[in-house]
Amino acid sequence: MTISKLKLSKQIGISLLLGGALAACDSGSAPAESTVAVAAGPSFDSQASSGSDLFATNCAACHGANLEGTRLGPLLTGGAFLQRWGTQTPALLLGNIQANMPPGGSGNLSDDDYVAIVAHILNENGVDSVTEPLTASTDFTIADNVSAVVARRERPEPPAPQGLTVAGNTEDFVEFVPLTTERLENPDPADWPSHRRNPHGHSYSPLDQINTDNVRGMTLEWVWNMHEGDSEPAPLVYNGIVYLINPGNVIQALDGRTGELIWEHWTGPANGQDMRNIAMYDDKIIQATTDARLVALDARTGEQVWETEIADSSLGFSNSSGPIIADGKVITGLAGCARYIPEDCYISAHDATTGELEWRFNTIAQAGEPGGDTWGDLDNVFRAGGETWITGTYDPETRLTYWGTAQQKPWVPVSRHLTINDAGLFTNSTVAVDIDTGSLDWYFQHVPAEALDLDEVFERVLVNRGDERLVFSLGKYGILWKNDRVSGEFRGFAETVFQNSFTHIDPETGAVTYREDIQNAQLDQWTSSCPSSAGGKDWHSMTYHPPTGLMIAPLSQTCLENAAREVDLVQGGGGLAASRKFFEMPGTDGKLGKLGAYNIDTMEEAWSFEQRASYHTGTISTGGNLLFAGDLDRYFRAHDVETGEVLWETRLGTSVQGHPVAFAIDGKQYIAVTAALGGTSPRTVPSVIATEITYPDHGNAIYVFSLPD
Amino acid sequence: MNKFGQCSIALIATILGVLSAPALAQTEVYRARLSPMPTTPQTVNEITGEGEVILTLEGNTLTVEGSFSGMSSAAIAAHLHNGPPAQPGPVAHALEVQEAASGDIFAMLELTDEQVQALRDNALYVQVHSENNGPGELRGWIYLRSHFDS
Ligand code: HEC
Repeated sequence: MTISKLKLSKQIGISLLLGGALAACDSGSAPAESTVAVAAGPSFDSQASSGSDLFATNCAACHGANLEGTRLGPLLTGGAFLQRWGTQTPALLLGNIQANMPPGGSGNLSDDDYVAIVAHILNENGVDSVTEPLTASTDFTIADNVSAVVARRERPEPPAPQGLTVAGNTEDFVEFVPLTTERLENPDPADWPSHRRNPHGHSYSPLDQINTDNVRGMTLEWVWNMHEGDSEPAPLVYNGIVYLINPGNVIQALDGRTGELIWEHWTGPANGQDMRNIAMYDDKIIQATTDARLVALDARTGEQVWETEIADSSLGFSNSSGPIIADGKVITGLAGCARYIPEDCYISAHDATTGELEWRFNTIAQAGEPGGDTWGDLDNVFRAGGETWITGTYDPETRLTYWGTAQQKPWVPVSRHLTINDAGLFTNSTVAVDIDTGSLDWYFQHVPAEALDLDEVFERVLVNRGDERLVFSLGKYGILWKNDRVSGEFRGFAETVFQNSFTHIDPETGAVTYREDIQNAQLDQWTSSCPSSAGGKDWHSMTYHPPTGLMIAPLSQTCLENAAREVDLVQGGGGLAASRKFFEMPGTDGKLGKLGAYNIDTMEEAWSFEQRASYHTGTISTGGNLLFAGDLDRYFRAHDVETGEVLWETRLGTSVQGHPVAFAIDGKQYIAVTAALGGTSPRTVPSVIATEITYPDHGNAIYVFSLPD
Repeated sequence: MNKFGQCSIALIATILGVLSAPALAQTEVYRARLSPMPTTPQTVNEITGEGEVILTLEGNTLTVEGSFSGMSSAAIAAHLHNGPPAQPGPVAHALEVQEAASGDIFAMLELTDEQVQALRDNALYVQVHSENNGPGELRGWIYLRSHFDS
């Protein structure tokens, strides 16, 4: 190819456009062609067969050609799928799929096409005793029509590992010292005894043996391969023992010095699903499970001490994050609250010694309750969302626990049968809840009537600055919010990445005004905005570095097109109900990953570090003036906390993901980090934008680094 | 960068050298990174490619020089559109484009005063349409080139 082939028209002021070229700018696509055989009316088998082709083109990219699942979408066959859908009807499954899938938009799939796809999914799941063709109202119980399932009810499968699979005792390694409230609130510098290390959620360790002067010499001390599955782990380290949550609700205790396994406990379900963090109190490790149970293990031996239910998982409730401890209480959130059912999401408190329920705080205001008039005239059943899927923090001084709540469901007001004026309390808010009574002390709703799937649910970081008692949060809109944590009052904000969802953020009150087209978005109408549903910021915790007063966050720079889908107000229905497409954030030169450091007094950006690969770990900082973060491209790096300069880097087996920790044993400092797969939208969005970044699809592990002796 | 990209940079350098010499003081240099239009796992292998466009403003005259590579199919049109960052808008000008999956873009345009203001407000973008992706395959918002130096 040569330059001369280009017709260089030097004509000035070309603004003339051919009709054809203009038409090409519209996003119209060819009218839908029905692919379902019509003739004498379809049979279940013929529906399933045409559904098979439709599935291959529209669904297989994420769910796998054989419904086996990929890292972009869950499997749609087998025990786990039937556990969720077996008790439901084809009509509900159809409604759910039609409202939510494929996430990029339903394109030219007709109603009949969707029915055919459902027939295919049912067929692949062994639904075999169907004589009638499937319709939009077929209402048999799915599992009852799977002869293999019916047969299996009499002859159960060999069970997955359950309970203690490796027995041992930490006392063979180190004398056991109970983790008291005092030691949780003022952790020993050598320990990382709770998620984000202290109750205020600083993700900061005062250890300074590894520092800006010597970090270049840091080398691998040991590595331990973890179980495969989706994983965003936050290890705990207490008294030299590493407590590690693995996918599928498996906990391991390892000797921090050598990486020797001490005990392993499979709490189940053994589903390869993700759990971000666990908690420790007294002599117990306390975990929430993916099926919404709360379980306490003996920290020395891994033996189970008590178990209780957080919520009924058969209603769709689940947990993806674990608890924190507040003065002997286990405070836990809840997820899986998008379905139209009478039960809603809550934060709950259980006694850490017995597991006994102490209180629940409901995040969705019911009609007649305070805030209940912010949901239009929606029946309580159809008020959904408000998940507390990221663990909060705790202030021993105010005795309040601070949590973020997720947005209303479905994602767009018009799908919810609501408007942009229906704020939907207490969604997308900071809630400050009294740990003794479970009552709401104050709330601040950052984004009322959320309209783009951009949650404000992430960690609340508590900072004392002079006389001020502050709480910071950073949601998917990429706005760092500063509030007074005693009164809830707004104190300031910083935009950390480009956003064009709001045309105005009131500097006095923090009130946001959505762009007009977002306010008025109708069904199937695309809006284009930044950031995308991967954030801004997502589940990866930010760090507060007290010596410099900097808040340093892992950020992501992508944008989305979003279109609301229709959801019927039927009990058992609901969902997310939006089509979405993703693209690079303008002006970023394609750099998805950003570390941003903010002066919490001025709320100005002190420095930033941007790169192509997205970040997949929380950030942590240390007394050695180091910041640690890891990315999709397998790099784990140490930066100078004051400048962002890279001081040390290494490359791990697969994408670096989870929450790093710093700890010390016998005076020697270590830095640990996990490599992991899964991790929801922060991975799936970059996977369609930064397609050139490759990494193994397995290799969950914990890596521990130190300076040579 | 591919061979062709280097060629086109040489070409840009030559043209800019010739055109901008007399009025260097008023020259404003802008840049757009071209990247795939909004996509999903279903379309990620059908909406592909990347590119770079350098735009030089002297008075109201805008010289547009760029290249792209790796599209799913041959380009059929390229336009300058009006729209603030990440908000698609109407076509403002047509650009010359090489009808290939990898190729060059060129134009010399006379902008209205409103369009010059839009340029300075990052409210113009370049979009390349291809045989397979009529609604657009590559797109990039225009910023001062110095915006990208960090
Ligand atoms: C872009 C990737 C993608 C495509 C394409 C896609 N899905 Fe999904 N699907 C997902 C993800 C991710 C989830 C999990 C949803 C969640 O947790 O929010 C999901 C969830 C589901 C579920 C619920 C699974 C469960 O266990 O509850 C069903 C059913 C489903 N998809 C069916 C389909 C069908 C049918 C199609 C094609 C018409 C399709 N999906 C296309 C990504 C995709």
